[in-house]
Amino acid sequence: MVLGGGAIWYIFNLKFSDTTEVKADYTVKALDLIHEFEKNNSLSNIKYSEKIVVVNGMVSHVEAADTTVNIKMADSTSGSYIIFAFQQQHLAEAKSIKQGDQVSIKGSCSGGAYSEILETEFITFKRCALNK
Amino acid sequence: MKKTILFFALVAATGSIFAQKKTTTSGTISFDATTSKDALPKAENKTVIAAIDAKKGTIAFEAIVKNFAFSNPKMQEHFNGATWMDSEKFPTATFKGNITNLASVDFQKDGTYNAEVAGDLTIHGVTKPVKTTGKIIVAGKSISTNADFSIKLEDYGVNGPAIGAGKVATEPKISVSADLQ
Repeated sequence: MVLGGGAIWYIFNLKFSDTTEVKADYTVKALDLIHEFEKNNSLSNIKYSEKIVVVNGMVSHVEAADTTVNIKMADSTSGSYIIFAFQQQHLAEAKSIKQGDQVSIKGSCSGGAYSEILETEFITFKRCALNK
Repeated sequence: MKKTILFFALVAATGSIFAQKKTTTSGTISFDATTSKDALPKAENKTVIAAIDAKKGTIAFEAIVKNFAFSNPKMQEHFNGATWMDSEKFPTATFKGNITNLASVDFQKDGTYNAEVAGDLTIHGVTKPVKTTGKIIVAGKSISTNADFSIKLEDYGVNGPAIGAGKVATEPKISVSADLQ
């Protein structure tokens, strides 16, 4: 009974680790990742979804998102892009990033899809932080 | 001369069409399915694609389901699992609709307008018609929009055991907001 209660308490109080402290599964260049998803969305989703990935590239947009900002790296030719939503404790870092900056971002890849609205591939990340 | 006029007319028309459609890739959808038995099933997705066409009165959203961020890893795993959203099989959630009282919204004049929206919401591979009311805020060239509504999970074929056990609300609250440029 006590063990069962302890297990439930443990599960209820689980939190995601700070992404900076999690070992990356992959390190990629932004444009390479975009092209990989464009080439084969299904295989790329299997490979990267829910994996911790470090993405290196140039910031194309800093976009207001609710009370914070998201960072984007886009392929200027196709319009396809990667978008990074930052982890709560790293929101201030996101606000310090400027368009044109070369950055390294670590986050949990949520996979990509083709947008019928924008007619481009988009790849989303959550729980991101600057990779230092 | 005719070609020059035609060229400028085409440029003006193209500019006008682009000005009518506003988009963002950083819209937000949050949902709250908490109950008295469980405070964990709530999450937010801040990378939602949204678009409004002011002339046609169309409105659309697209979200990657796996980008709903939870505080609790186990809850996120359940949310994406086969008995909930089954996000491997149904990776996106979408809404395509229309502002049904378009005449009441003046996109050329700054202000806050009550918008009535009707359209098709697709979740878990199931498409159902929904109606809701929301706000459209016009400020210069920017348009902000927000709406709150709830859905019945069983309408979308979401019937996991946690719902039956009262740990997940049968009608979670959904909030949508977007700042479109």
